Amino acid sequence: MKREKPSSSGVVDSPLDARTQVKAREDGLPSVAEGRLRTYEPGDNRGRFLDLLAKRISRPLAVSMTACVHCGLCAESCHYFLARPDDPTMTPVWKADQIRKIFKRHVDWTGRIAPWWVKAGSVDGDEDLNRLKNIVFGTCSACRRCTYNCPMGVDTGLLVRFTRGLLTELGIVPEGVFNVSRDQWETGNQMAVTEEDYLETLVWMRDELRTELGTDDVDIPVDKPDCDVLYTINPREIKFDPRSIAHAAKIFHLAGESWTMPKWGWDQTNFGLFSGDDRLGAYVARNVYEAAERLRAKKIVISECGHGYRSTRWEGYTWAGYDQTRPTESVVVTVKRYLEEGRISVDPSRNTEPVTFHDSCNIARSGDLVEEPREVLQRVCADFREMFPNRRENFCCTGGGGLLSMAEYRPLRLEVGKIKADQLRATGARLVCTMCHNCVDGLNDVIKHYKLALRVVQVLELVSNALVLPASGERTKQSS
Amino acid sequence: MPHIELEGRRIEVNEEGFLVHPEEWTEETARLLAKAEEGLEELTAEHWAVVKFIRDYYVEKNLAPMVRKMCQATGFPLMKIYDLFPSGPAKGACKVAGLPKPDGCV
Amino acid sequence: MSDFLKILENEVQLAALAFLALVYTVRLGWIFRFKTRRDRTAAVGNERAGAGYSLMNVAMPWAMESTRKRPGFYAQFVVFHIGVAAAIAGTLIIPYAPGLFEIRPVVILFQAVVAAAFVVGLVRLVRRLTNPVLRRISSPDDYFSLVLLIVWFAAAVAALPNRPEKGEWPLIGYFGLTAFFLIYVPFSKICHYLYYPFTRFYLGRSLGHRGALPPKGTKGRKTRRAGEDAA
Ligand code: SF4
Ligand code: SF4
Ligand code: SF4
Repeated sequence: MKREKPSSSGVVDSPLDARTQVKAREDGLPSVAEGRLRTYEPGDNRGRFLDLLAKRISRPLAVSMTACVHCGLCAESCHYFLARPDDPTMTPVWKADQIRKIFKRHVDWTGRIAPWWVKAGSVDGDEDLNRLKNIVFGTCSACRRCTYNCPMGVDTGLLVRFTRGLLTELGIVPEGVFNVSRDQWETGNQMAVTEEDYLETLVWMRDELRTELGTDDVDIPVDKPDCDVLYTINPREIKFDPRSIAHAAKIFHLAGESWTMPKWGWDQTNFGLFSGDDRLGAYVARNVYEAAERLRAKKIVISECGHGYRSTRWEGYTWAGYDQTRPTESVVVTVKRYLEEGRISVDPSRNTEPVTFHDSCNIARSGDLVEEPREVLQRVCADFREMFPNRRENFCCTGGGGLLSMAEYRPLRLEVGKIKADQLRATGARLVCTMCHNCVDGLNDVIKHYKLALRVVQVLELVSNALVLPASGERTKQSS
Repeated sequence: MPHIELEGRRIEVNEEGFLVHPEEWTEETARLLAKAEEGLEELTAEHWAVVKFIRDYYVEKNLAPMVRKMCQATGFPLMKIYDLFPSGPAKGACKVAGLPKPDGCV
Repeated sequence: MSDFLKILENEVQLAALAFLALVYTVRLGWIFRFKTRRDRTAAVGNERAGAGYSLMNVAMPWAMESTRKRPGFYAQFVVFHIGVAAAIAGTLIIPYAPGLFEIRPVVILFQAVVAAAFVVGLVRLVRRLTNPVLRRISSPDDYFSLVLLIVWFAAAVAALPNRPEKGEWPLIGYFGLTAFFLIYVPFSKICHYLYYPFTRFYLGRSLGHRGALPPKGTKGRKTRRAGEDAA
């Protein structure tokens, strides 16, 4: 079979770096020893790949494989292609074709009868699989913008995730993907935060909050049973930026919420979404659901995180084979309710700088929240302005699909960040607000690289700024 | 391979500006990283307090410290860390202290 | 009319159609062999509304940025597919309702529609041959299917007046190509319309369940900025 000429982005040639995989095996990590976390073994991965492909593919994905008519209409929906218009390998259809051709050759019949006629093709060996790895991890943030722009309804974003999942099973993944998966399998959270560090950081935030509010009434309860709200967070909040935990605690306190955080099962993020590994996805999501079960919490509330929301609210139940029994919502929805019910009061004149809102793909395109964050922002900010395009048509922050953890693809990611930079610049805003921790980092990278005069904030930070504290003793609702 | 130059010496950094060989870190490297990556013209005693703590912690445990530990050790409030290092504890302070890129979505 | 043409217009067409139906049945069976997963979450939106919206996408050029920004592309799509429908209708009208094509305006209408599709087909072919993205992704089947349709449209324009007495070649060409076409379709990209209901249904159902489709309230209106179409 004639080999196609390689992509011009250079990303496609990134080698497979399996050093930390080898180390994990040598160290005898339980997740590796028990076969949950797969590591790379040179050998016949081609056969295993093809078996997995045939075994795993579902009906919605199989029709996405067959339905594409090569019309090219999806090209201009993808920020990779928009930023590199002379590079056809940046189009969603080309990327999807790299798995599609294997499907046609080995699963579909047209490609078996006359492969060259429909451009079906196989994989020769690990080198080809490594190229595929670079395409599905390195040139796509799985943001599903193309999905919404394909007239045929082909779900390229999901095809990319599916392909990632096959490669993850073989350990043919970027080093960062392996490392984060390992940490989440091993420690239950993707940044390997220990229980001690988790608890101590919560105490620290509680103390800071007590100083700020001048009352010992405030608490960040842990493992308190029978609460209305079980609050789950992103480990980044513990490890590097716990201010958001304090904001949430302050809001819960003022709203008189009965809430708790779990000692275990507190990580609502889920690297299984990015690596395509449904088993990891199931494990992490189940931890959260079982924490709520164990503590008899009435509701699961997810801190501001795009992929965490999508994973915990939408995909996780299905991955885990766990029927949803309790409401599971984003903290932004919770806050919106507090505002509507008058449980907290805010003064928008405390946030005067012009603010724009960046819709997280995982929330706007693969989830349901579009108007909710805007309603909150309109109440807490004096100058809110839309970015264009917006809502489910917004462009990815460029850091989606776990790309922030894959350093080797960063130059390309920043290059195609031009689209986001132009979009941000045109708003004239000084603050860009997003309800996703991942987007915060993705946007920060774009802002720094393109030297934009913008600061990234999250919804809770703006709400917390705008909070009007009741005069002491005036609060009537029970605080807990 | 991206790199930064220091008095004729080449220091290899990865695509995100983190040291490729964290063991090669020196105080000179820190100065250079601070300038190149954080836009800090010079490091004050307060910067050094944070950087040295992170460095020692890393050398001892082969791990980036939690931001809480940074605050505890230096006695700085959280906001101070952000004032000192505009990119924050992970991408700012840890980078200057010559740590490798932290795992996870940061 | 010669016996050959008669057989070609009737028995051969029916046999080809039967073949098409058979292959489609097999194809449908093949699709249903793949499993689907039950969504275990509580819905925010409505699966049926989402699926319905998604299936109607073909008739809603405003629903997607890609077609909104390229109204010309969408217009071509419409003309092309109406042409296909007219050309298929012709193959049924000629043998089974020839009276219709004795009405001259009807013939002219059909010819005009198919001729327009022919022109669009040529435009599409040029585009596929010159646009670097399309060249990179196109397979021989993509080109062949398009050329086949272009030639078939031309044959249809020539044959639609249905005057075998003035020479049978246009009709032989038209029906011959149709028979070939019916047999070739299931193996080519042309059978994409068989998949359309599936991709659209599953995508719409899943996004409808989540409340992402149909877009809430705004119908995508607010997401547009004045002058965007000019971009
Ligand atoms: S828009 Fe859809 S059908 Fe057209 S090339 Fe892209 S994926 Fe294929
Ligand atoms: S999912 Fe997003 S990044 Fe990936 S190909 Fe589609 S539009 Fe591009
Ligand atoms: S990081 Fe944010 S914008 Fe980027 S893919 Fe995720 S949710 Fe989308």
